[in-house]
Amino acid sequence: MSKRGEQPIKQSSGKSRTVHTAPASHTHARLMPDRVWLVLARRTYDEPLRQIGTVEADDSDLAGVYATSIYDEFAWIEMAVIPREALVTVIHA
Amino acid sequence: MATTDETSQPGGAAASATATNTAAIATHGDNGDQQMAVFRLIARLADNKYWLGRRYAEWCSSAPTLESSVAAAAMAQDELGHARALYPLLRQLAPKAGIAVGPEIEPETRTKFTALAALAADFTDWPDFVAANVLIDGALTQVFQAAQSSSFEPLAARSRKVLQEERTHTLHGQGWLRRLGREAGPVRATTEAALRHILPETLCWFGPTGAASEQDALAAASVLDATPDALRSRFLATIGPVFTAAGLDLPIRQRGDSWQLAEPLPWDRWDAEAYRLG
Repeated sequence: MSKRGEQPIKQSSGKSRTVHTAPASHTHARLMPDRVWLVLARRTYDEPLRQIGTVEADDSDLAGVYATSIYDEFAWIEMAVIPREALVTVIHA
Repeated sequence: MATTDETSQPGGAAASATATNTAAIATHGDNGDQQMAVFRLIARLADNKYWLGRRYAEWCSSAPTLESSVAAAAMAQDELGHARALYPLLRQLAPKAGIAVGPEIEPETRTKFTALAALAADFTDWPDFVAANVLIDGALTQVFQAAQSSSFEPLAARSRKVLQEERTHTLHGQGWLRRLGREAGPVRATTEAALRHILPETLCWFGPTGAASEQDALAAASVLDATPDALRSRFLATIGPVFTAAGLDLPIRQRGDSWQLAEPLPWDRWDAEAYRLG
């Protein structure tokens, strides 16, 4: 049996090595966020904000933290998050 | 941390700049004890940043959601970057502190870390991560805030950069604390237990109690703008309202304008040399 947080990995040579991972948390299932936030950003002043993705988070602070850490591929000059339920659809797809 | 070449290249431009700036604290009293106090401050900041980064990194594929896993990875990068920016200062400070320059002051070969005991073991559950985020990361940030105008300019410059990046860490910790505080039953109990486990050591970590400004080497030399007791009070005033708002039961009470610990700190177990609970 492996020590807590260590997973034996079978290699192609047949030998095993051990890598460290955090244990799966028994609290995780209870902690799934229930709000989806649209992430909008722009790279230059002459372009409008456009949606670049979404994050799931419980509040706007965490949504902002997640948005900046996930969508960090560019040096955005502006980024915003809005709850998806705030979007009012006027023409349905 | 998006370190600049100046702060991240040992022996580079930062080294010569640091050599010049090391003289800055000399104007406030150039003696071995004071230089040693600064050396030890930098060492414990760097070591705790390094081990906090290591612990954060262990959760970059195991957090409750994909989003929080990515955030854990980003925060780990930040912490390790902060440590990397601090370690080169040890080489500059060592000669004046009477410490031999050798493997123990190099980040790659260092073995005697002055990190908190709470960081010596893996986080066993997500609430451990959040508790360290709020308390240990928060305590480190409190010290960097006290060093923004430090007489030791290399620390002041790094503090300003660190604080910019720590804003998201604070939001992450407090956001998750609110989330965990809303839970009932075992999640909430586990969260309170995780916080209670590391709160005493974190509060001791600011330094010995009862020292006046002129008795505390770092405050006397304006390396930090407050004594350990004042730093502890500031920290309690920061986290007390957060715990209250999250509805978590921690031994911190508001008395007038200040927040105080309702229990004595375990100074009998405090190892002043290793700067951790024994």
